[in-house]
Amino acid sequence: MIQTIGIPRGLMVYREGVLWKNFFEELGFQCVFSPKSDRRILENGTGRAIDETCLPFKMYLGHVMELIGKCDAVFVPRMGGYLSKEKMCTRYEALPDLVRNIFREEQVKLLTVSYDWYDKTKEERVYQELGAELGKTKKEVKKAYAHARKKQDAWLKGKEKAQTQILESKKVKILIAGHPYVLHDAYMGGELARILEKMDADVLYTDHVNRDSALKRSYEFSRVMPWLINREMAGAAMLMKNRVDGIMIVSAYPCGPDALVNDMLMRRLKGLPVLSLTLDAQSGTAGTETRIESFMDIIKYQKAGGYGT
Amino acid sequence: MKKKAYLGIDIGSISTKGVIINDKNEFLAECYLWTEGNPTKATKEVLHSLQEQFDAQEYEIVSSGTTGSARKLVGSMIGAQVVKNEITAHAVGTTTLHPEVRTILEIGGQDSKIICVENGVAVDYAMNTLCAAGTGAFLSSQAHRLGVEVEEFGEIALKAGKAAPIAARCTVFAESDLVHKLQVGCPKEEIIAGLCKAVAGNYLNNVAKGKKIIAPVVFQGGVSKNAGVVKMFEEELGMPVMVDEKGHLMGAFGIAVLAKESQDEREFSFDVADMEFKTREVTCGKCANHCEIICVYREGQLIDSWGNRCDNGAIRIQ
Repeated sequence: MIQTIGIPRGLMVYREGVLWKNFFEELGFQCVFSPKSDRRILENGTGRAIDETCLPFKMYLGHVMELIGKCDAVFVPRMGGYLSKEKMCTRYEALPDLVRNIFREEQVKLLTVSYDWYDKTKEERVYQELGAELGKTKKEVKKAYAHARKKQDAWLKGKEKAQTQILESKKVKILIAGHPYVLHDAYMGGELARILEKMDADVLYTDHVNRDSALKRSYEFSRVMPWLINREMAGAAMLMKNRVDGIMIVSAYPCGPDALVNDMLMRRLKGLPVLSLTLDAQSGTAGTETRIESFMDIIKYQKAGGYGT
Repeated sequence: MKKKAYLGIDIGSISTKGVIINDKNEFLAECYLWTEGNPTKATKEVLHSLQEQFDAQEYEIVSSGTTGSARKLVGSMIGAQVVKNEITAHAVGTTTLHPEVRTILEIGGQDSKIICVENGVAVDYAMNTLCAAGTGAFLSSQAHRLGVEVEEFGEIALKAGKAAPIAARCTVFAESDLVHKLQVGCPKEEIIAGLCKAVAGNYLNNVAKGKKIIAPVVFQGGVSKNAGVVKMFEEELGMPVMVDEKGHLMGAFGIAVLAKESQDEREFSFDVADMEFKTREVTCGKCANHCEIICVYREGQLIDSWGNRCDNGAIRIQ
């Protein structure tokens, strides 16, 4: 009997987590999130991952481990593509299979939905399947989904609005471009925002730019690029480039789509300071701080028009 | 009244540099020595040497700055007013001496960077990633293998008729390439010329990738003392590459200029060179991040600490 559902604080939780939480709660379940990322969670996850996998995936495995024993089932969605055309990295298409296999000895009960369609399937349908699995009626699920979708949309609107307000600020404005699960993870991108804010900058994120406009803009950037998140990120960066003082492109090592897209993005972002940072499992932040500090210096001295006082 | 002077120290991974300048940006004292893995000791030696050259009757140091990878440690050690990254320090130093410069190439002990300058201000830069291939450390290790002093590299390279092709993208591959060239009887000077060419090529294809190199170009950092690499850069770029005689001091000079411009004046005493400094690394246990916090002690008294990711790990200084 499932009462408590665990949600790992990694990957697409930073995009759809509000929807998931509200959906389960509306159906009468309790939700438990794993704690914010830290070094221990990463080390645990790294211990279970194969070598060649990326940092966010290692972190995700660590988050799954946090939930083992604390819930009746762990929610691991299959993320092939949210839309019919744009796709996700193959690793996330296979997410429930990978997790089930890696933790086969622990026999973790998984719940999943499959964001993986090429036809006109609606998101609601996959949640209907999930609801049926949880023993809920069609009507109950329909209501829960509608409620959750509304909450999710309102959450995103709130983020967009807050970001629009930051654009009015007089401080130095830095746009961080990257995958949401890198940018908002406490141990990965959270560090960067902290360093920037300490240097008195305002931080904006590509995933807090309106998704539809960003996706649309991305087709001017590239007609053929398949990855949805990279599309939203590149599109948002192009939309924002004239409204911020600098852009920091952040990638977690190793990321195939980023390796292709970020290089191209760097070349399209002429005319303003751009810093490209690749995060790895290094525990020291000295190298990162040096790079961010000199990046901020360039912006500040350029604004001042020279090094003199 | 004594005239004002400004101290700048650049503590790199391989070498430590110190300068004292006056308000006209003229050098009053300078020093360059190996860090040898001990930045505190190296700084003390630099301070002793600077003190000997310094005319304390005529001048007094009113402001100081530190840069380089040990800038924080040495900054709290000498009580520096300005602690800044080496990219800004080099840009400031070079543009002060060469206001017309547009591109700064720099290859140091374990890092390399390119700084693009427009209207006297840095507008773009790139740095090598964590790998030290193609830097001074690479040349030193190859010199060791060839049984040649790295200081002689430049001269030997200039004598070579042609440069042996050597891949320098990765030090490990370069080494096997080099051994192979030796085994097939390739003359040493051609190999050395090849290494110099490889360093220049590696730099232009990696660090400087996608950056527009506009003349005038200034080349600095320890490797700029290698005439072989300078020649290879000039050939590859098809433009003259300027090497300042004081190029190795540019970071220290830049940070001294920034200290001067900070207008934050405070008495400085060379006594710090004779004080005892200790650093201790503590692992913070307050959360699962286990931050490594560096604590600096002067004469047994805690004066500074850093490395904590959050306030839980902040160590209060009494």
